[in-house]
Amino acid sequence: MQDQDLMRSARFRKEREADWQRLEQLVMAAESRGLQYMDFAEARDLASLYRQATTSLAIAREISLDKALLGYLEALTARAYLCVYAPQERLGGLFQRFFSHGAPQAMRRSWPFILLGFLCMGLGALSGYLLYFESADWYYVFMPAELAGGRGPDATYEALRSVIYDQNPDSSGLGAFATYLFSHNTRIAIFVFGLGVFACAPAVVLTFYNGLMLGAFYALHVDRGLGPDIAGWLSIHGVTELSAICIACAGGLKLGTALMFPGDVSRITSLRLAGRDALKLALVAALMLLVAAFLEGFGRQLVQDIYMRFIIGWGIGALWLIWFLFAGREQK
Amino acid sequence: MIPRLRRKRKTERPSRNQLMPPEGVPLTMQIAGVGVRLGAQITDIAITTAALVCIMILLATLNITGPQTIVAIGALLFFLIRVPYYILAELAWNGQTLGKRIMKIKVVSHDGGPLTTHALVLRNMMKEAEVFLPGTLVLMLDASSPLGSLLAFGWIAICLFVPIFDRYRRRLGDMMAGTHVIHLPVPVLLKDLAREPRVMTRDKKGFVFLSHQLDHYGAFELQTLEGLLRAQETRPSGNILAERDKTIAAIVEKIRKKIGYASPVPPADRVKFLQAFYKAQREHLEQRQLFGDRRENKHYAQNGEDA
Repeated sequence: MQDQDLMRSARFRKEREADWQRLEQLVMAAESRGLQYMDFAEARDLASLYRQATTSLAIAREISLDKALLGYLEALTARAYLCVYAPQERLGGLFQRFFSHGAPQAMRRSWPFILLGFLCMGLGALSGYLLYFESADWYYVFMPAELAGGRGPDATYEALRSVIYDQNPDSSGLGAFATYLFSHNTRIAIFVFGLGVFACAPAVVLTFYNGLMLGAFYALHVDRGLGPDIAGWLSIHGVTELSAICIACAGGLKLGTALMFPGDVSRITSLRLAGRDALKLALVAALMLLVAAFLEGFGRQLVQDIYMRFIIGWGIGALWLIWFLFAGREQK
Repeated sequence: MIPRLRRKRKTERPSRNQLMPPEGVPLTMQIAGVGVRLGAQITDIAITTAALVCIMILLATLNITGPQTIVAIGALLFFLIRVPYYILAELAWNGQTLGKRIMKIKVVSHDGGPLTTHALVLRNMMKEAEVFLPGTLVLMLDASSPLGSLLAFGWIAICLFVPIFDRYRRRLGDMMAGTHVIHLPVPVLLKDLAREPRVMTRDKKGFVFLSHQLDHYGAFELQTLEGLLRAQETRPSGNILAERDKTIAAIVEKIRKKIGYASPVPPADRVKFLQAFYKAQREHLEQRQLFGDRRENKHYAQNGEDA
C-alpha cells in the first residue's frame, strides 16, 4: 500500500512508530535494570526519544482520532517521563549532605522556634519546681503514677538514693535500650512534633507539661537533699533527650505557624515549604533520642560516679551544640 | 440555572489525572484510589512483619533477651525495619515499595518535577503519624479509658477521611511532601485500523461515502466504532458469534438509515462496510479538526448553537 493513500494521521504514525517502539524498549530496560546501568548511547537516546514522544503526543492530540494511538502515546510518554525524571541520588551522598550541612543549617534557620521550644520546657520546669515547694501535693497532679515508679513525696531518702545509684540487674543493655525508646519521652517527642500542625497549641502544652513533670521531680529530690545527685542522674541522658523534645517541639511549632500564618502562599504550599526544615528538625530529634537511648540503656548503669555523669551528659550536649553552630557554614 | 453553573465550573478545572511535566505537554496518569493504596500498604506491612518474625525467631533461639523485654525489642525492631524500608525502597525503585510494585501504583511529584529525596522521606515519616501510631493505638486500646478510645477513633477517622475527600486522594504526608500516587500506565500499541488494505466488496467496487453522509457523527461515535471493530479480531464460537452478527447487522442498518446510504449491504460485507465507514469517517473528522472544527460527538451542531 502506498504512503500517499494513507490518511494524514496514519502517515504520522507510520513515520514515527519505530522510534516509539525503541523508546518502549529503552523504558523497559531502564525500569528493570536501572538508569545508572545503561550505556551512554542508550541513556542519551532515552532522553531525546522521550522529548520526541512528548511532541508526538501533543501533535497526535490535535490531528489524530485513533484511540489506540492516543492511548499508547499517553502511556508511553508517561512511563518514559517517570524514567527520565527518576531520582538520581546516591545514598552515601544523601547522608553526607544531611550531616555536613542540611541539618545544622536547618537548625540555625529555625533558631527562634527552637528558642521557643526550650522556653516552653524551661518555664514548665520552673513552675513545676516552684509549685512543688508551695505544696507537695502538686507532685501527684503532674506525675502519672506509672512514670513515678514509687518515687513520691512520701518516699524516703534511702529509697530515692537507691534508684539513682543502684544498678537494676534485670533491665540493662539491649532490653533497657528498647524499653527506653518506647518510653514516655519518645512518645512525647513524636506527639509534640506531629500535633504541632494543629495550630501549635498541643505542642506548646505538651512541652510545658513535660517541663512541669521535670520541675516537680527535680524539686522532690532537692527537698530530700539529693539535688546534685539527681541532676547528675538526669543529665547523663537528659541533656540530649530533653533537647530532643524541645527540638521536636520547634519542628511542630514551625508547621503550626506555617498553617496559621501562611503569608502570601496557600496553606498547603506554606506547609510544604515549612516542612523542609521541620522534617530535618524531626530527624535531628530522632537521632538525639537514639543517642539518649544508648546513654540510658548502657551508660547510666555503667557510670555511677556523679562527676562522670555530669561530664558525659553535658559533654555530649556541647558536641551537639558545636555541630549545630559550626557545621556547614558557607565560606564568605 | 444552578446545575448549568456547576457544569461550567467543572469543565474549567483541568482533569485531576493530568500531570504537567517540564516539557509542557500534559500527561495523563490515573490517580490511584484509596482501596488500592490500602492494599499496597497491607502488603508492605505483611512483608516487614515477615522480616521481623524471622529476626525475632533468631533472637529467641540465640537466647539473648529476657522474656520481659521481648515485646519492647520487637517493637523497636519493627520500627527499625519499616522506617528505612519505605524510604529506601521508594528511593531505589523510583517511588515504589514492594507492595506498590505488586499493585502497579507509583508515587509521582504533584507539580510534575522529579521526585526529591526530601519528599520521599517526608511522606514516609508522616506515614508513622498517619498509619502506624493510630494502628498501635488501636492495638493498645482498653475499654477502661473511653477518652483514649475516642481520641484514637477521631485520629483514624481524620487520617482516613483526608484522602477520601481530597481531589487527588492525597493523605496528609502527600500534601506536605507535594506528591500523589498514580496507577502505572501500560503502553500497548494496537494496529492502526486505517492502515488496513483498501476494503473490497465482492463486486470490486468498494464503499463510497459522500461528504454530507459523514457529517452525522463525532469523535465519540467514531471511537466507539473503533472499539467494536477491534473486538472483531477475536473469533468466538457458536452462540456468541451469532449474537455478534446480530449486533453488527443492527448497527449497519442504523448507520445506513442515519447517513442515508441507499444501496443495501449484503450480510457477508457488513464488517467491511463498517471498516470502510470508519476510515472515511475518521479521515473526514480529522480533516474538520485541522480546520478548527472539533466534533466531540454527534450533538456537536447543537452545542455550537448554544455557545
